[in-house]
Amino acid sequence: MLDEIERARFARLVLPHMDSAYGLARWLTRDPAQAEEAVQEAYLRAFKYFGSFRGEDARPWILGVVRNACYRLLERDGPIATPFDEEAHGEDAVAAGTVVRFPVDPEAVAIERAERELLQRCLRELPAEYRETLVLRELQGCSYREIARIAEVPLGTVMSRLSRARRLLQRALAGDPAARGTGT
Amino acid sequence: MSCRDKTLLLDAYIDGELEVDAALKLEEHLGACAPCRTRMDRLAALRAALRGNIDAEKAPRGLRARLEAAYLPAAPAPARLLSWRWGLALAAPGLAALAIALWLAFAVPAPFAGADGADVRVVYHISSTATARAALRNLSNHLNAAPGAKVVVVAHNDGVDFLLRGARDELGQPFEPDVQRFLSRGVQFRVCYNTLERRQIGAAEVIPAATLVPSGIAEIGRLQSKEGYSYMRL
Repeated sequence: MLDEIERARFARLVLPHMDSAYGLARWLTRDPAQAEEAVQEAYLRAFKYFGSFRGEDARPWILGVVRNACYRLLERDGPIATPFDEEAHGEDAVAAGTVVRFPVDPEAVAIERAERELLQRCLRELPAEYRETLVLRELQGCSYREIARIAEVPLGTVMSRLSRARRLLQRALAGDPAARGTGT
Repeated sequence: MSCRDKTLLLDAYIDGELEVDAALKLEEHLGACAPCRTRMDRLAALRAALRGNIDAEKAPRGLRARLEAAYLPAAPAPARLLSWRWGLALAAPGLAALAIALWLAFAVPAPFAGADGADVRVVYHISSTATARAALRNLSNHLNAAPGAKVVVVAHNDGVDFLLRGARDELGQPFEPDVQRFLSRGVQFRVCYNTLERRQIGAAEVIPAATLVPSGIAEIGRLQSKEGYSYMRL
């Protein structure tokens, strides 16, 4: 059991990242219940091993713990194939033509005009290693170095995965079904 | 250097991860190379599409409450959090009326002067499904006799079952509404995580009204030695 000082430190450094933790878990597990479970387990584990954490920026650290919890859970229970919830994700589809800044290249236009529902689905279907890299970069705003630490891979791997993730997504958005991964 | 080799550089550029001189060199190249400009445009378009359409979802309220109750520094904070949460729930008028009705139903006057239990702290240890219903009956009587008593219920071993989603007693009565009622009277429910792990029960199966603690036994020990709770096993 940690003493009260450690508990207070945990509350100050780790608890505030709950939204990031859940946001990441949501995209890694692709299921709300599994995401909640993964975050709870990650926090328990993080709490247990908090003594080994040094420094002040706990965000990459807890995101790494969450990531591992997600994959452990998926390994144990298998992915829950939640049907894509269009009602929850399809709202506020961007009106076509509102944000076109690159009228010259038709593919760029198609990508930028891609509807919310299609984007969500394509991202969901990216293979896990590409999905996690892209989500950490674009949704969580992590630096390459942070992603390398969270995903436990070298910096070069982060760069190549990110690049590959974007090309896969671009091709999927431009309507190439072969670009979609199996989503494992 | 061919354009093909620049793929990673384009990504690093748009991510702001290139050193200044490398970035300047790439910009120079972009000025002269139309295919690379197109690739850069597509990257920018993808980023705009992602930022405009994909939101990182925030932690749901139940999860937030459970984590805060479990990890905010001990006693006073979770109690504050609880009242805040119920404050929110009570903001809905229908719920408020319901809560008042429940409160009236439970707020039986204390029969003896000085028996309001204001400084009584008790931890109920529930370790078997069979006794859960009886324990809640005792708890109800306990609170009627001493409405000010602070009670924490720690569930452990088979005792965690009544705090799982959809749990019912042997007569088919659901537990959750009763747990909610006790919650509104200030009772806290804590579930042993070691038990969940051992019995392979997912944390998400626990009803949101209960919070998780790493070890039920350690929690009971802590409540007794650090917070002056007396122990009651049911």
